[in-house]
Amino acid sequence: MARDLAIDLGTANTLVYMKGKGIVLNEPSVIAVNRQSGEVLATGHDAWDMIGRTPSYIVAVRPLRGGAITDFDITERMIRLLLQRVGVSRFTRPKVVICVPSAITEVERRAVTDATRRAGASDAQLIEQPMAAAIGANLPIDEPVGNMVIDIGGGTTETAVISLGGVVALEAIRVGSFDIDAAIQSYVRREHGVAIGERTAEEIKIQIGSAEPGPQDRSADIRGRDLVTGLPKTVRLTAEEVRFAIDEPVTAMVLSVKRCLAKAPPELSQDFLARGMYLVGGGGMLRGLAERIQRETQVPVNMSPQPLEAVVLGAGHCIENYQALRGMFMGTRR
Amino acid sequence: MISMSFLTGLFSFLAFVSGSALLVMVYLDNRKVRIDDGIAKFRRHIDALSPEARRSSVHHNNPEDRWSR
Repeated sequence: MARDLAIDLGTANTLVYMKGKGIVLNEPSVIAVNRQSGEVLATGHDAWDMIGRTPSYIVAVRPLRGGAITDFDITERMIRLLLQRVGVSRFTRPKVVICVPSAITEVERRAVTDATRRAGASDAQLIEQPMAAAIGANLPIDEPVGNMVIDIGGGTTETAVISLGGVVALEAIRVGSFDIDAAIQSYVRREHGVAIGERTAEEIKIQIGSAEPGPQDRSADIRGRDLVTGLPKTVRLTAEEVRFAIDEPVTAMVLSVKRCLAKAPPELSQDFLARGMYLVGGGGMLRGLAERIQRETQVPVNMSPQPLEAVVLGAGHCIENYQALRGMFMGTRR
Repeated sequence: MISMSFLTGLFSFLAFVSGSALLVMVYLDNRKVRIDDGIAKFRRHIDALSPEARRSSVHHNNPEDRWSR
């Protein structure tokens, strides 16, 4: 008998929680496929190492963009491989709860559930990422108080106000940390005439990227291809330049938080001032982002102790209490 | 003799009809959504989200567990 699973099928990373065991898998949502034969060559960390470095017959792709499936077949194969790796066979068909962005369309929702069922699940239920994040971040959502959670993932930024086990206000945009990487790539190309890959852009973001000026502002040498000569070139990038480059996606994230605050009922708004907001997701780890949101909203911002795992832990709790929390699944509420 | 069997048959029939009616009433009554069904369901939902309920799943995986094992 297969153990039931919770999957955080993120744009950047995929995490799997097994009932009774906890998190059993955490790796990048990347798959490498042989373009000619259609064979899967690698998934996860191995496939991530291949991005931008493959011969022409291999393609290493992220099958999700903005939290939505862009390639149905590839996603189905990736989920099938994930399930196999955690011990699911054709004779053991577990129930699966999958975390998806709240802004997902009906078509995208069906694509995720179909892909999961075809990959070997007996039942596939969806849960909104901010709700799962709030459960996983240990927020007291069972109480009649306002809990605000900001989940910044690879492709989406979702802000939700939760009270008494339900979503009171929600704001979601398809802007995430990959848009920050893309903004850095675009800036370096435009201002320095150098082309860099998405992995280099991500490294720059981690090393010197920030949303607010701070004492740790540094500069970094980056290597890419000169757009004029076509030769390898090194340029120096400062933290201030990166801050300027990523200002557009960061501002979009902050504005979405502000819109969610404006949607919240006044009785709950006063709770935010006392309790603050909680930041989860890999995108929330950008230096100075919590400070910037705090400065612009005048509401304290706390970082979740496990920003990367909060969503899958919340979904894992739902799979542990499947019957009692059935009402939280997207299909059962709408 | 004939009247006895008639009465037995009649009473058996009435007993059967009454029993069936009673069963149908009990079945329909059970199918009704009671006012406290929603309360019990909501209570279960909230209880499943309590810190105690989350101890085994969320806190189990949290190294900074405030209810450290």
